[in-house]
Amino acid sequence: MSALSSPNHCCSSSSSLHSSIGFHQIHKNIPFSVIPHKIFGSKNVSFRSKCSPLPDVLLMQDVISKFLNCLGALATKLVATNEGPPLPKELKEGLLTVNPPEEDENPIDSDAKDANSTVSITIVGASGDLAKKKIFPALFALYYEDCLPEHFTIFGYARSKMTDAELRNMVSKTLTCRIDKRENCGEKMEQFLKRCFYHSGNYDSEENFAELDRKLKEHEAGRISNRLFYLSIPPNIFVDAVKYASLSASSVNGWTRVIVEKPFGRDSESSAALTRSLKQYLEEEQIFRIDHYLGKELVENLSVLRFSNLIFEPLWSRKYIRNVQLIFSEDFGTEGRGGYFDHYGIIRDIMQNHLLQILALFAMETPVSLDAEDIRNEKVKVLRSMRPIRVDDVVVGQYKSHTRGGQSFPGYTDDKTVPKDSLTPTFAAAALFIDNARWDGVPFLMKAGKALQDKRTEIRVQFRRVPGNLYNRNFGTDLDRATNELVIRVQPDEAIYLKINNKVPGLGMKLDRSNLNLLYKARYSKEIPDAYERLVLDAIEGERRLFIRSDELDAAWLLFSPVLNEIEEKKVIPEYYPYGSRGPVGAHYLAARYNVKWGDMGVDE
Amino acid sequence: MAKLLSNPCCYSSSSTTFSCFHNESLCSSRNLAAVPISSHFSKWAPNNFTRIQLRSSNFELRSSNGYPLNAVSLQDEGSVDNPLAEEANFSDSAEGDSTLSITVVGASGDLAKKKIFPALFALYYEGWLPENFVIFGYSRTNMSDEELRNMISRTLTCRIDQRENCDDKMTQFLKRCFYHSGQYNSEEHFLELDCKLKEKEGGGLSNRLFYLSVPPNIFVDVARCVSTGASSTTGWTRVIVEKPFGRDSESSRELTRCLKQYLSEDQIFRIDHYLGKELVENLSVLRFSNLVFEPLWSRDYIRNVQFIFSEDFGTEGRGGYFDNYGIIRDIMQNHLLQILALFAMETPVSLDAEDIRNEKVKVLRSMKPLLLEDVVVGQYKGHSKGGKTYLGYTDDPTVPNNSVTPTFAAAALFINNARWDGVPFLMKAGKALHTRRAEIRVQFRHVPGNLYKHTFGTDLDLATNELVLRVQPDEAIYLKVNNKVPGLGMRLDRSDLNLLYKARYTREIPDAYERLLLDAIEGERRLFIRSDELDAAWALFTPLLRELEDRKIAPELYPYGSRGPVGAHYLAAKHNVRWGDLTGED
Repeated sequence: MSALSSPNHCCSSSSSLHSSIGFHQIHKNIPFSVIPHKIFGSKNVSFRSKCSPLPDVLLMQDVISKFLNCLGALATKLVATNEGPPLPKELKEGLLTVNPPEEDENPIDSDAKDANSTVSITIVGASGDLAKKKIFPALFALYYEDCLPEHFTIFGYARSKMTDAELRNMVSKTLTCRIDKRENCGEKMEQFLKRCFYHSGNYDSEENFAELDRKLKEHEAGRISNRLFYLSIPPNIFVDAVKYASLSASSVNGWTRVIVEKPFGRDSESSAALTRSLKQYLEEEQIFRIDHYLGKELVENLSVLRFSNLIFEPLWSRKYIRNVQLIFSEDFGTEGRGGYFDHYGIIRDIMQNHLLQILALFAMETPVSLDAEDIRNEKVKVLRSMRPIRVDDVVVGQYKSHTRGGQSFPGYTDDKTVPKDSLTPTFAAAALFIDNARWDGVPFLMKAGKALQDKRTEIRVQFRRVPGNLYNRNFGTDLDRATNELVIRVQPDEAIYLKINNKVPGLGMKLDRSNLNLLYKARYSKEIPDAYERLVLDAIEGERRLFIRSDELDAAWLLFSPVLNEIEEKKVIPEYYPYGSRGPVGAHYLAARYNVKWGDMGVDE
Repeated sequence: MAKLLSNPCCYSSSSTTFSCFHNESLCSSRNLAAVPISSHFSKWAPNNFTRIQLRSSNFELRSSNGYPLNAVSLQDEGSVDNPLAEEANFSDSAEGDSTLSITVVGASGDLAKKKIFPALFALYYEGWLPENFVIFGYSRTNMSDEELRNMISRTLTCRIDQRENCDDKMTQFLKRCFYHSGQYNSEEHFLELDCKLKEKEGGGLSNRLFYLSVPPNIFVDVARCVSTGASSTTGWTRVIVEKPFGRDSESSRELTRCLKQYLSEDQIFRIDHYLGKELVENLSVLRFSNLVFEPLWSRDYIRNVQFIFSEDFGTEGRGGYFDNYGIIRDIMQNHLLQILALFAMETPVSLDAEDIRNEKVKVLRSMKPLLLEDVVVGQYKGHSKGGKTYLGYTDDPTVPNNSVTPTFAAAALFINNARWDGVPFLMKAGKALHTRRAEIRVQFRHVPGNLYKHTFGTDLDLATNELVLRVQPDEAIYLKVNNKVPGLGMRLDRSDLNLLYKARYTREIPDAYERLLLDAIEGERRLFIRSDELDAAWALFTPLLRELEDRKIAPELYPYGSRGPVGAHYLAAKHNVRWGDLTGED
């Protein structure tokens, strides 16, 4: 334990701080979860209620304000001198083997320290595309919504020479306000940009990171400093950046966390090697492996649907579900940016991470609680119960050029950044099986592709047919056509709908499939936050539910590595499909082998 | 049997007419048997296909022995063993030279004008009626054909979505409408009608449908006269009767017995027009053709079921009939109970009428008679709102000033079988309430060990799933699910998985009467009440009704246009239920 915790020399002081007896006595009489949110005044209470991923906060709002009214002054005073209280969260984290006992990373804690603490967010690779398009806008959105702590600083770090003003100029071009909240937008942007700074340096220079550290300290002005590094850089320099960030720019009195994004290796070995290297410098606790699909609204909602509705849970097994489909499609190709992609291919880029993660969430057993470790434990169990993927259960495709309506679309290998003889799949379909009691024999079909006819991500649950259906004669010969289907559309136009057989109104007895429909656009007026907002906020708060644990990652690679190796060794020729088409027909044959029809290809879609 | 026949209420018809009737029908049935089955499919318009498909199954089943294949209807005391009834389905198949005559008895009445004639026209417009048909109005009023047509034409409308040729069609339809004036208890007048019908039928095969749109006290007279004076001699004769079917077990049984002096059970079509509503028909489709619902359809998952009927108007000067019956007889004992039976029945062997009705009877017979303590009755009182004054029930000049007739009732019922033991089935029906609606609400149990329970506050039952079938207005099906409110927090709310008919289906939904008339014409009995169903229904309510009336239980008064008496809430609370329609969510 002590060995593991040694690199983390930042948190030792905090534990002694929050042992104040006086404070504990005050909040002993009220529910745990309420405590940290009320201690810093009503403004903070309201922002927590908007942003906190902790569910109980909201309904307790009244209690909070009442409490505040009574104890406000006292509590505020106490907060000025005390750390936040230890919370159940810590108890849970205590179960984690790698959790150093003296570490205090409690997310609520860190917020409780708000007045006296600061968060510095450093985007390593600030001049890159992801930073510009996603990370800075997400940070601004969080700021706009009052989800960031009072004291925060944002640093851009990259090799390009740039001044703070230049960075701000660059960032400002991609910031937008939500459609439903345009008020003060310009003003807010300005205030936000004032908190953005730039530091130029190499990713493998201890010295440059030490300079960054000095600048950060300056801004932190002696407060407890919490530091979040977002590594938005190519994977080959992950380890260097982590090494020097950890050695030279770690916080000395708060937490230091690092967000890394895929690719996490190319296969089991390289992934394990990467994990090993990262762990030389970081605890598992400090590593936040982002899978931004897990931050999508409808993916988060998947567990809510399953576990908070009585009507779904009984259906959630091989007894009622015939197959599950996870579908991802993009309507564009690599478009001159195929360099990275060609090295990985669609299976590594989409299936092994995004779709598999959704599958695991979908299929897991009920966790003990909604805590990160409980959920991730269940997800790992699913991954480890899965049958190795056979190469003939995978169909790969690659798009070729296509001319339509006078416009010509280039094929994958026409992309200048892609080798002419590349066999990298831009499309793949696969059949997976979970060999456990709940899912034995149920095909989980995945499909992911670029340059297809539409852009969508969805989960489709096809139910079995009604045994001994009284209405069989209304359905023609293929009874499987008339089954129920639950569709969770992750993007675009978030929606949940359940296809049911319904009598067509009228004097006859004709049945059709109608939808019990929940279109988010129609139901909720609020704009749905981008996945990155949620994930960055979670990282700041130390909520790990939506991040990938290393054993999950291992299990995911274990599943896909053999089949990837085989495809590459055998140089399996992808089936070519025209740009903008529905993809290779091979996908249909694969589905047909398991008696499945792709739900997205039906006539009623 | 002898005892039944000697019942004084039922005039025995002259033996000559009767035996003649028998002979003719017997010989006609022989003729019919020769009609080739294949002709069955060459029917009216092509859009009949699905119905024919369904009906053909009846046909096959019946053709084996001429009787429905189940014991229950065989045990019906068909005191007049009238073979006419049996060829119901045969006669449909003889298209070419057959004629359908529909006689609306009580043609000058309100129901006829508002519902029956318009429904017949709609059927005609949509091509559901056979090629040769005539419609006769019959009542005591003196009227010419022209006058009848004039009267009818005022209430005919075309569907919004099909205005083409509407006037043309109306003219053609009205040409087929005729009138005959006569007394309801005069065999002679019905014989005159018979002559006129024969004239129109032109000697071919004739099928006759009589719609009794008359007060209940003359049902039997009309049935007798129809049967003896105006029955078809070559095809089928069917009679549609509408509620009230008696006031209690005895009077209902009496009515049945009397009708059966002249008609066989198969000829009697007891209409419950709620069974003809689109969403009520769809109830079985939802349950039995969707895998996602059937596993949930039991006490394991369903916490309670609510059947809610409310009208936003009172008797409005027409309380004479109502005061004699009250809301329990008018709505609960028939409409709501029928829907309950459909909802709760076990899966029938097939969709055939007898199979479905067998299952419904089983439900009714598994229920205990209602107890007074499980019922709340109310009566609306005058109320002023926004400067406008609404009259109370007893302010209605057609209602006695001291009337204690309930205009509102709520009741908790239980089905003591393996599927539903302990599940409260709540009914609520009322007049002069704040909305007009009819709906079925299925409230599910709470999720055991719910991971999200701390997002729901203290009452977990508030956050349960609910399936709502809104029968009227604005037909819809929706399923309330707990859903994450989009955003960075983890807040749950109840959202609807929604199917609003208006949005999904462009076609206008046919009126219940259209469906039921067509079913009667086609001999499809699924949506009509069999006599044993009726008996079972009365057996449930009669003791309660008697007690209410014997003890002159005073109804709880509620203001016109309100949400009804609070007693309904206490009744629900007693069974740990909340009314789904009064949560403020809808």
